Amino acid sequence: MMRRAYAVNILGAALLALLFGCSSATQTPSVPPKHPEDLPAGRVDCLECHKDVSTGALKPYANFRHSGVFIRSHGTYARQGQNLCSSCHKPEFCQTCHAGKEELKPDTKMGDRPDRMAPHRGDYLVTHRIDGRLDPGSCYRCHGNKSDSRCKQCHK
Amino acid sequence: MGRPTTVIPLGKRLLPSVVAITLLLPLLFAATAPAADLSLSSKTYGLAYERETAGGQKDRYVPLYEYLSADAANLGGKPLSFHFYGWGRVDLGENSGSDSTSGEVGSIYLEYLHPEGNAQGKLGRFFLTEGAAMEIIDGAFVKATTPGGLGVSLYGGIPVEYSILDTTSPGDSLFGGRVFFVRPGFVEIGASYLKENGSFQDGKDRELVGGDLWLRVAPSVELTGQATYNRSVSEMASQRYAVRIVPGATFDISAGYESYTYKGLFQPALNPAFVSPSVNPDDEVRTIFGIVDWAFTPGWTLEVAGKILRHDKSDPGDANRGEVGVRYTYNDKKDVAGFSAAFVAADQAVNEYQEYRGFASYSPSKLRMTLDALTQRYKEAPIPGNGEKNQYQVVATAGYQLLASLQLSGNLTYTQSPNFQEDWAGLIRVNYDFATSTGGKK
Repeated sequence: MMRRAYAVNILGAALLALLFGCSSATQTPSVPPKHPEDLPAGRVDCLECHKDVSTGALKPYANFRHSGVFIRSHGTYARQGQNLCSSCHKPEFCQTCHAGKEELKPDTKMGDRPDRMAPHRGDYLVTHRIDGRLDPGSCYRCHGNKSDSRCKQCHK
Repeated sequence: MGRPTTVIPLGKRLLPSVVAITLLLPLLFAATAPAADLSLSSKTYGLAYERETAGGQKDRYVPLYEYLSADAANLGGKPLSFHFYGWGRVDLGENSGSDSTSGEVGSIYLEYLHPEGNAQGKLGRFFLTEGAAMEIIDGAFVKATTPGGLGVSLYGGIPVEYSILDTTSPGDSLFGGRVFFVRPGFVEIGASYLKENGSFQDGKDRELVGGDLWLRVAPSVELTGQATYNRSVSEMASQRYAVRIVPGATFDISAGYESYTYKGLFQPALNPAFVSPSVNPDDEVRTIFGIVDWAFTPGWTLEVAGKILRHDKSDPGDANRGEVGVRYTYNDKKDVAGFSAAFVAADQAVNEYQEYRGFASYSPSKLRMTLDALTQRYKEAPIPGNGEKNQYQVVATAGYQLLASLQLSGNLTYTQSPNFQEDWAGLIRVNYDFATSTGGKK
C-alpha cells in the first residue's frame, strides 16, 4: 500500500514537472501578476486599451468589460482561471463576499460605494427569507459550505 | 474545586504568531532581495448601534473591526508573490457576536507564476475556483498548460469551513483537479473532479464531477456551460447554460437556463439554513434568465434583467423577478448616480415584494459624499403580529482624503422596517493604503 502511494506521488511530481517544462516551452507570456497602470474608478472597460484575446484567460477582452452581465456571470469565468482577475483584484476583493466567516455585510463595509453591486442592502433580515425560499441556490454560492458565523445568531 | 481549565485549540493559540511571522516574511525577502513590490492595506471600522431585546432592555453595541491585507510581488526579482488577508473584531460595548472577539485569516499564501504559459502554484490558505470547486483550502494548487493547449490543475488540502451546527464537522480533507483544453479566442473545455472526505448528510463524503465550456461561435457571440454532478447522492447538482452577445463596448446581452436540485446541491451543506427540513430535498429549481446592459449614450447605462423561477413543489411555488435600472457616470467616472426598481411576483403572496432604490455620489477634490436610499415593499406583512409591510433605509456618507494613503470617512444609516421601528447606526472608517516598489518594474 505504501509502495503504491509512493509511486503515485512520484508519478504526480513527474507529470507536474513535465507540464511546467511544457509551459516554459510555450511562447505565450503569462498574465502579469498585477496590472501595470492604475485603473480609473468605476466599472472597467478593457476595450479602451486592449484588443483581441486576453493573455491568461485566452478569451476576448470584450467579455471582461465589467458590465452588469459580466458581474452576474463572473463565476463562470473565474472557474476557468483566476489569473486575469488577480492581476487587478487582491484576495480581499473576492473574499468581501466569498468569505469563510464574515460578520460585516458588504454594503456596510462599502457604504461609501453605492455604485458597487454589493448584495444585501437594507434590512436584509426580512428580505432574505423570501429570496432564500425562492432561490436558495443563489444564497448557497456564498453561504453554503463556507457558512458564516452571522447565520448562527438565528439558525442554531 | 479548582477553576476549570480552558482548552484553546492549538490552531487558535498559534494563529497570532503565524500571522505575525508571515506578515514579516515578505519584508525579509525585500531586505535581502534586489526587488519586491509591497502593498499594505488597513481598513478600520468602528460601528455603533443599539438593539432592544425582549423585556425592553436596550443594549448598545460598539464593535471595532480591523481588516488587514498585505501583498508582496516580485519577491527577490522572481515571479513569486505573497498574499495575506484577515480581519478581527473586538467589542467595546455588548457582545455583538457569540463572544467579545472574533476574526479569521481569509488568505495567507505564496504564489509562483511562471513567466510563460500561465503555469502557477499556490501554497497556503487561499480561495480557489477551479471547475467544480469553489473552496477556501489550507493546501496546495498547481496548474499548467502545454503549448498545444492541453492543461491540468491539481489541488489538495484541508477545507476551511465554519460549521454553525454543533453536531456537524467540516470536512477532513479535500482534493481534486481539472483537465482542460484551450484554443485561444475560440474554445475552452474542462472536466473536473472534487472529493471532500468528511461526514456530511447520510455519512457520505462529498464527491463532485464537473464540466465547463466556453465557446466563441461568432466574433461577438459566446456560449458558456457549467454542470456539476454529485456522485455521492447520484444527483445532478447544478447546470447553467448561457448565450452572450457582446457586439462592442456599449451593448451586452445574455440569456440562459439554470437548474439545481436541492438534494444534489445541498447534500454537503454545513449551514442548517440549507439542511432539511428548511428546504425540501426533493425540490428542483429551474430558472430562465435574461440580462441587458446598454450604454445607450455616453455616461448613461440602462440595465434590464428578468428571471423566471420554477419549482417542482407548490411550496414555495413559482415566481418571476424583473429589474430595471439607469445609471449616470460623471466627474471623470469618479461619481455615479442611479435609480433602479425590482419586482417579484409569486404564486404565494408571502413571496412577493417590490424594491426601489436611488443613489448618488459627489466628489469635489478630496471630499466625497454619497446618498443611498432604498425601500422594500412586501405584499404581506413578513413578521406575524407586526403589521408593518414596508422598510426604508437611507445611508449618508462623507469622507475626506487626509493624505494620499489615508482616508477618513463615516456613514450614518437610518432604517425603518418590520424588524426595527426606528434604527440609527453610525460607522467610522479609516482606510490606509500603502504601496512601494523596491526595484521591481511597476
